[in-house]
Amino acid sequence: MIGREKPEATAVGFDRPLLLTARQDLVGYAGGLTGRAVLFSIAASSVLAVLLIFAFIIREAVPFLLRGNDAAAGLSLANLPTRLGELFGSDQWHPEASVAPEFGTLAILAGSLYVTVTALAVGVPVGLLTAVCLSDVVPFSVRQAVKPVVELLAAIPSVAYGFFAVLVLAPLIQKHLDVPTGTNVLNAGLILAVMAIPTIVSISEDALSAVGRDLREASYACGATRAETLLRVVIPAAHNGIIAAVLLGMMRAIGETMVVWMASGMAAQVPAPWWDLAQSVRTMTGTIAQEMGETVVGSPHYHALFVLGLVLLVFTFSLNLATETLLGRMRRQGGKKP
Amino acid sequence: MTGVEKAEPETGSGPLLRPIQVRAPRQLADADDKTCRGAVIQSKGFSLYYGPKVGVENITMDILPCAVTAIIGPSGCGKSTFLRSINRMNDLIPRTRAEGRLEVAGVNVYDRAVNLVNLRQQVGMVFQKPNPFPKTIYDNVAYGPRLQGVRRRSELAERVEQCLHAAALWDEVKDDLDKSALSLSGGQQQRLCIARALATRPTVLLMDEPCSALDPIATGKIEDLIAQLREQYTIVIVTHNMQQAARVSDRTAFFCLGKLIEYGTTEAIFQNPSCKETEDYITGRFG
Amino acid sequence: MLIALALVAILGPMLARGAMAVVFRATVEFRKMQSDMHNRGNASALEAEAADAAEARKPVYEMLDAFAHGVDTQLLEREAAQVYRQVGEELERRSVSAEVRQEVRRLTRNLRDALIEAYQAADRATAEQHLARVLKHADDERLAGTAAERLFDYARDYREHLRTLNFDRRREYAVALAEVQDAVRRLLGPRPDEPTPPLAMHRYGATRMDMAARVLDGLLHAETWVEPVPGKPLVKQRIPREEQFAGTRLAALFPYVREHLDEMLRPRLTFHPQYFWDDSIPGHYFGGVGPEILGTLALTALAILLAFPIGLISAAYLVEVAGENPAVNFIRMCINTLAGVPSIVFGLFGLAFFVHYVTGRPCVLAAALTLAVLVLPVIIRASEEAIRAVPPAYKEAALALGASRFRCFLTVQLPAALPGVLTGVILSMSRAAGETAPILFTGAIAFGPALDLLGWPPGGWLFSQTRALSYGGYDIAVGDRIAAMVPHQQYGMVTTLIALVLMLNITAIIIRWRISRKLRG
Repeated sequence: MIGREKPEATAVGFDRPLLLTARQDLVGYAGGLTGRAVLFSIAASSVLAVLLIFAFIIREAVPFLLRGNDAAAGLSLANLPTRLGELFGSDQWHPEASVAPEFGTLAILAGSLYVTVTALAVGVPVGLLTAVCLSDVVPFSVRQAVKPVVELLAAIPSVAYGFFAVLVLAPLIQKHLDVPTGTNVLNAGLILAVMAIPTIVSISEDALSAVGRDLREASYACGATRAETLLRVVIPAAHNGIIAAVLLGMMRAIGETMVVWMASGMAAQVPAPWWDLAQSVRTMTGTIAQEMGETVVGSPHYHALFVLGLVLLVFTFSLNLATETLLGRMRRQGGKKP
Repeated sequence: MTGVEKAEPETGSGPLLRPIQVRAPRQLADADDKTCRGAVIQSKGFSLYYGPKVGVENITMDILPCAVTAIIGPSGCGKSTFLRSINRMNDLIPRTRAEGRLEVAGVNVYDRAVNLVNLRQQVGMVFQKPNPFPKTIYDNVAYGPRLQGVRRRSELAERVEQCLHAAALWDEVKDDLDKSALSLSGGQQQRLCIARALATRPTVLLMDEPCSALDPIATGKIEDLIAQLREQYTIVIVTHNMQQAARVSDRTAFFCLGKLIEYGTTEAIFQNPSCKETEDYITGRFG
Repeated sequence: MLIALALVAILGPMLARGAMAVVFRATVEFRKMQSDMHNRGNASALEAEAADAAEARKPVYEMLDAFAHGVDTQLLEREAAQVYRQVGEELERRSVSAEVRQEVRRLTRNLRDALIEAYQAADRATAEQHLARVLKHADDERLAGTAAERLFDYARDYREHLRTLNFDRRREYAVALAEVQDAVRRLLGPRPDEPTPPLAMHRYGATRMDMAARVLDGLLHAETWVEPVPGKPLVKQRIPREEQFAGTRLAALFPYVREHLDEMLRPRLTFHPQYFWDDSIPGHYFGGVGPEILGTLALTALAILLAFPIGLISAAYLVEVAGENPAVNFIRMCINTLAGVPSIVFGLFGLAFFVHYVTGRPCVLAAALTLAVLVLPVIIRASEEAIRAVPPAYKEAALALGASRFRCFLTVQLPAALPGVLTGVILSMSRAAGETAPILFTGAIAFGPALDLLGWPPGGWLFSQTRALSYGGYDIAVGDRIAAMVPHQQYGMVTTLIALVLMLNITAIIIRWRISRKLRG
């Protein structure tokens, strides 16, 4: 190595010290730590929110779940089986009856189920088909144009959908299907499908795109047609994302309140015969929305409504977990961010 | 003086197609040259690891002020790693670990008590791909001085003008300093980045392949600029372009696989390398 | 394709009908109402117009009255009795002997009774008989010059009427007449000589031509329920009233009304933007959605104000500072959970926590807090994405110039990420504006005063409940009997909400499009 002796150039041009004084160092360290702590706690507010939500919903549901058969007795865990039996063993929901109030939620749960299944039955095929078209069939420009439209559809407030359901769709159904009322499973299910479709389309479409060209090209190179490629290669490869999309659509349908409140007829009954979609039903969300306003705070009815809320919360939470797992798997599989 | 490459290498792969031009060795500035503000960089057994992987290992060299030092070598050999260690930019990568000493103006930059802000203002960096901020030209250059606390508009304006002059960009943009920096051409943007780096009045300029994203004309302009700046700053330039290294630098270091293979005057390295690997690389046998 | 169609199919009619809340053919009744309630419009022009309209309406009232005289026996009886009383008063004033007075009174009384019996007669012959009895005294000089002469007019009138009156259907006619009169009142408003009705909604006739068309239809057709097949549900049947009143004097009313409707109501295409800031009378029969818009804007703004700082800082933390450790993963999981909670559960939470613990009662603050929690994950996700999308080159350059992490973020990364962050904010605004379930129990009402933003104490409005477009839209669609009569109000409210939301979303889309153009070019 060739070096030349040169006196230490004390950086003629730079007059600021390169080393921190002890105090500066300490202050900097402490400041950094405080800063990180502050940021962490602000970010943890979401955690706080979730915990509070669970805490308070459970807190208000517990008085119903653990109460004894007469009002005077206190709360005890021993009462839980009876209460659960009461809730899930009967379909008679008469919480405000003065003599013998009944809290059977089976009809309400069935209502939620009916409406959701109908929504998915319509929404999943249409949504998947659209997603497939968007990702594989139509040219890019169309895709770019359609995406905002799908987003707009998703942005319409649920009240507006409910409005449409009640004032436009219900009379149509009533007239053309010759049924006594237009607010029923069919009505609510159709509208929920329209609401769920954007979610299904966008997630499925991301999943299908994330599959990547290589897989498709390999399939074509083997001589498969486009349809065969889609059915046998692309869709199965994207199955994680597609299932996640369906689950998210389901979450949307189950959690929707305004549309079912306005369009499902709000009758706490299980349709009979079971395939008659033109009958009115009542969902969990609708029940809470309708009855909470008139319920005395602290009454068994009040707490029972919170139990319904808890059921909703737990159910959507599990769906959410499942979805996240699937989406995580999809991301790791594809190697690309959706 | 045109250096003639060694003809007839042993395996008979034929002479190099292009002669490597080396400039005449320049008289390096002497001790009390007041225009020289550059700092000495001394690496003493410095190593940097990314987790278990080796970045550079046991580098010992002195980088002289007011001169251009080029670092050449095949890709992945640690040139950029070493460069970015000088201003602690490697800290952005998680799990880096440093050993040995890397001194700028006598201070080990990996000392726990180093004032990173001041260090980075003293050691400026220009990146491979020009990265001006999405702000106006003025605001780009004024960013550094503002960080240093310069608030008065007159002072800022003066600094901006000085640096744009020094970067040979003033004439081209002086009419519209409020234009977005992104509207400039690639070469102009890179000169803007140089001006921006100069605005904090550094003593060292690190350049990480500054011309690799530019066309030959812009490259030429930047090389001329480097020639002008060398009078005042310590310039370290990483390049994979050997001709550029030969044109522009006073001293050259050859890195390979994380180790310093050879370091000397550019003339010596290119015309008379002492290590076989150096010779192989220069003659194009690998890399 | 299908989706776009669905969008258009759903939105199109609603927007069109909603637009009718603002742009429609307004009648002179509308202008009268605006003038009375808000002092709008040119008073003198309005008076002239009203006078013209009144002219055109006179025949209607005359026809109605004339028919009523033949059919509405109670009215006629009352009038006869009134004549008798008047005669009595006149006699008091005149100076005549007691005998004469008594005699005249007796005579008048007999005439009155005979007339009343004529009215109440169930068939023509009997009626004629009684009328003859009355008219026998037509030339009696004792009654000359007195009010009693009117009795003879009534008798002659009634005789005329009898010619065309179908006795069997008199009761039917009475009922139908009442319906027709009611329809006329809804069409043209109260009669000039009637006292002002207490309810605002009855004070004016049809204020819009579409409403007028509906009322006209009710006027021109009678509806009955018939049982087509025994045991099956009843079916509505419509009969044109011209048929119903065929052969009577009233039959001419209907073609007249149909043809002269425009003259009676003087419709004019009106643009009525005051809809957006007027208050409404309870029930939304008249008025606009001003308070609702105000409520929605207040709730949305407050929610964003609360959620935005927390959301942005959380996002900054997650992108820049957080490492890959279980605590951070837990935070991310919680954010995802928040995003998935159904909106009604947020409402329950808001009730259980914000209302019962924080504010003590349902109010704007509680509702805004609930909305803020709902919207937080949206802001966090959008901000995170935006910050991640900033090219790392900028960050590198800034750090290499000696900026601290914090200053680098503040001066380089955040400004670069701002469009994306803004998009997230706008989208969450649109979400907050459209949500109904979270505000149901936490602060929304359907009837009530508008928020008093400038009142005392400052910020007091935070603790009052408010109307909102979303909840109002629900209430007006299903809850309100009155509102069903004014569909333009229903559609108007929903359309206002949709328009607001769409405007916000389209703004967001435009911003996103412009950024991507800038980044590419």
